[in-house]
Amino acid sequence: MSKIFIVDDDPDILDILKMMLQIQGYQVQATTNATDVLAITDPKPDLVILDLWVSGNDGRDIFTQLRRLEHTKQIPVVFMSANSRLKEIAAEYAVDDFIEKPFDMAYMLDKINEVLTRSRKKNP
Amino acid sequence: MQAVPEKYEDILASNQDLRTRLEEAEGIIEAIRNGEVDAIIVKTNNEPELYTLKSADRTYRIFIEKMNDGAVSLNREGIIIYCNSSFSRMLNVPISDLLGMHFLNVIPAAHIDLISSLLDRSWDNDSKAEMAFPGKDKPVPVLLSISRLEIDGGQSLSIIITDLSFQKEAQQQRKSLDQKDEFIAIASHELKTPVTSIKGYVQLLRYHFNEEGNTRAEEMLGKADVQINKLSSLISELLDVKKIETGQLQYNLERFNLCTLVKEMVTELENFSNSHIINLKTHGDCMLYGDSNKISQVISNLIENAIKYSPPRSEIIVEVSEAGGKARCSVQDFGMGIPKDQQSRIFERFYRVTGPIENTFPGLGLGLYISAEIIKKHHGKLSVESEYGKGSTFTFELPF
Repeated sequence: MSKIFIVDDDPDILDILKMMLQIQGYQVQATTNATDVLAITDPKPDLVILDLWVSGNDGRDIFTQLRRLEHTKQIPVVFMSANSRLKEIAAEYAVDDFIEKPFDMAYMLDKINEVLTRSRKKNP
Repeated sequence: MQAVPEKYEDILASNQDLRTRLEEAEGIIEAIRNGEVDAIIVKTNNEPELYTLKSADRTYRIFIEKMNDGAVSLNREGIIIYCNSSFSRMLNVPISDLLGMHFLNVIPAAHIDLISSLLDRSWDNDSKAEMAFPGKDKPVPVLLSISRLEIDGGQSLSIIITDLSFQKEAQQQRKSLDQKDEFIAIASHELKTPVTSIKGYVQLLRYHFNEEGNTRAEEMLGKADVQINKLSSLISELLDVKKIETGQLQYNLERFNLCTLVKEMVTELENFSNSHIINLKTHGDCMLYGDSNKISQVISNLIENAIKYSPPRSEIIVEVSEAGGKARCSVQDFGMGIPKDQQSRIFERFYRVTGPIENTFPGLGLGLYISAEIIKKHHGKLSVESEYGKGSTFTFELPF
């Protein structure tokens, strides 16, 4: 089953996402420390859910670094935020998708599934 | 002097020329007599010189008398030798009393030191200062602009007093709107985070109760989820206002069918609440180009308002039609209606209809403001017809 890495500085949100994704059978790794995602080792996650603002770290900078690093640049990234400009920011950075807070469980799971399917087609 | 003409034809031509000039001169004198000339420009060897006539002076005099700014001139001793009616109005003292008085004796005592030093300085350099004059009902904020004039060898100070009330009020309004907007941006973001947690846990609990077959608990949490969505949309409304004000509201344009959209919205609202009888009438096939999500936001706002302000089980008529190159959608209710004097204000931001019954309904006064802005951006118009106690009809028209 696919492995998902979540970065958000709100422990409750991490808890909720973890439970929701585990219900669907995903393997989940969650952290409140944005820089953890840059230390990703094998086996690599199939998807990263990245909050736009994580304890002083701008999710956009983390994303840019992920795209630069050789071993993480292929991993699909989904931005998540309560920021009203999320849609424009996601388009500007050409991330794989975005999830607006507050999110609906079914909607969020559909979105994750879509991104993973697209990514599998692109890199079989 | 012109050369003496030699031929008879030349004499005739010269005579004709002189006659023409004489007629022109008589014409000018006649025009001056009739008050049609304000000024004469005389060409000399150097610069052209301008001579004004009495009638022209009168025009300028009336202009200064009638202007909104106060105008005063002082002689070397600081005595008022002229002032207009605006100045007298600002101080609330008749002109006849002001003439001949020392300027420092007519201004508010609190400003005497400041103005005294300003007047001294103004003989050398132009100066400006802001202060408040007593006014008739309330203090008037004013700007004093003082400059030195030299007329016919004599010197005087001219003071123009500009009433700043209008600018100050506009500034104050802008400031309070800016503060509201800043508050909205922060509050919306901060409110969304806890709502995300609450919504997440409620949905997880629903899932688990459903798995366990506890339908009672699952239903209750379903109701909580509906309320959370309401709270979410209130926060979104606040954010939309912020976006409208800063021009950040994005429109995703596409072709869509208005009739289909309205049908979908009505079905969705009927699933959500069956407290009213919604009667849907559609005529034609209204294909439009616009942001269908935003238009559906307008439709649901109008129907939700109709539900909110009319008694349960009453009818709501939703009608879509085409006329004169426009698509038209109206939502009619048979509820409390809106008093005539408040109808023009209901599309204003934060405006809420006031009254003993109206005050008991919850809301921020943003829904209609946002709807009107969305329709305006689509080059359409949102309007209302309403009779107090009988009901309201909200109609929007969109060009094809």
